[in-house]
Amino acid sequence: MSERDLDALLEDCTQCGLCREVCIVEALGAHSITSLLCGEEQYSSWLCSSCWRCQEVCPQGVDIHAIIMEMRREEEPPPGHEANLVNVLRSGYALPVDSGVNSSRILHSLEPVQLIPAKWLEILLQGREGGKTRG
Amino acid sequence: MQRMALFPGCLVLQRMPQYEKATKRVLTELDVHLENIPHAACCGAPLESFTDRWLHLAAYNLALAERLGRDILTLCGNCTNTLLRAKAALDEPSLRSEVNETLDEIGLRFEGRTTVKHLVELFTGHVEDLREKVTGELSVRVAVTHPCQALRPHEISSFDDPLEPRAMRRIVELTGAEVVDYDAEFDCCGSTLYLADEGLGLEAGRRKLASAAQADVLVDACGNCQLLLERFRPGMGTSAATGRMVVLTLPQVLGLAMGIDPGELGVGPASARELSRRSS
Repeated sequence: MSERDLDALLEDCTQCGLCREVCIVEALGAHSITSLLCGEEQYSSWLCSSCWRCQEVCPQGVDIHAIIMEMRREEEPPPGHEANLVNVLRSGYALPVDSGVNSSRILHSLEPVQLIPAKWLEILLQGREGGKTRG
Repeated sequence: MQRMALFPGCLVLQRMPQYEKATKRVLTELDVHLENIPHAACCGAPLESFTDRWLHLAAYNLALAERLGRDILTLCGNCTNTLLRAKAALDEPSLRSEVNETLDEIGLRFEGRTTVKHLVELFTGHVEDLREKVTGELSVRVAVTHPCQALRPHEISSFDDPLEPRAMRRIVELTGAEVVDYDAEFDCCGSTLYLADEGLGLEAGRRKLASAAQADVLVDACGNCQLLLERFRPGMGTSAATGRMVVLTLPQVLGLAMGIDPGELGVGPASARELSRRSS
């Protein structure tokens, strides 16, 4: 993301700090995007519980989620997130759905999972902008 | 009979058939019939950090349900949030047109006719039916943890207060259980954080469980919460009290209060025994 794009998203932020006050990551002693919003340099856009509380309390209506998503595309992803991405690209689900999963489902009287056809997944995720998908 | 398309999401499909089983069993009592969506895929949430194509995957799932002529029922906060945001984003004509060009290649179309409801919202609309079906009083103390992502942002979800939700509490109160207050009630469980930093995620979960230690049962309504607070509990170094607390999903608790056999709700023998001991 260019500095101009980030500036546009941050335009209405007054650095009041309410987002940081309600952030679980900050309460645990680590630094989330809310530290960036408060002018700090030490933070990670990946340290987020996706609870949306920061955005909900923001009196200025800053789209903090959009900032996180934009920043993440420029920061190195943690292995857990990368693994989920690879799984979605392979099978359509973030966690592997194999025969063991279906056996367990049958034991619980649930129908087996019918995965998305590989060709459909390719169309949905590659399309004309295939280069945008990392992983 | 009300028919809905169930969207369990990756976590529930892969790791907790018990939650899906209990949901289906309890909703049968309310005359709501659930059918899984053939060929459904991930809601799109794990893609959003990497590519805008997440929207295409979300739209695909919405279009599948639309073709079935069903509204979607979700069990996870994250799926709910993602599908609802996708639906709202697709109100924008040029984006909808772009997505529909892709969907057209696989014979689908998104028209925005399908609504997405989280299980707590569905139960909220059936409070009177639930009251009739609950046969026994659960004499236990229950701490409730809310599916935070299903409640926020308020622009896409309006069935409960986004910051101090009450809907789950009102549903659990129908069972006769005492719903207790605790400091971390409105805090996130930490499950999504676990993906980025295991230690931080487990610490968030440990704090939540420790804060709720006065309760016999912790009730959640999200695959993410259940995964962290129940499955990953051994990694938290919890105290003996919180370590014994029974962690159940909302339909499991409702089902027990309806007198349904624990086995039909995916409630294991150890949890059933602990519940019985605590309620006696």
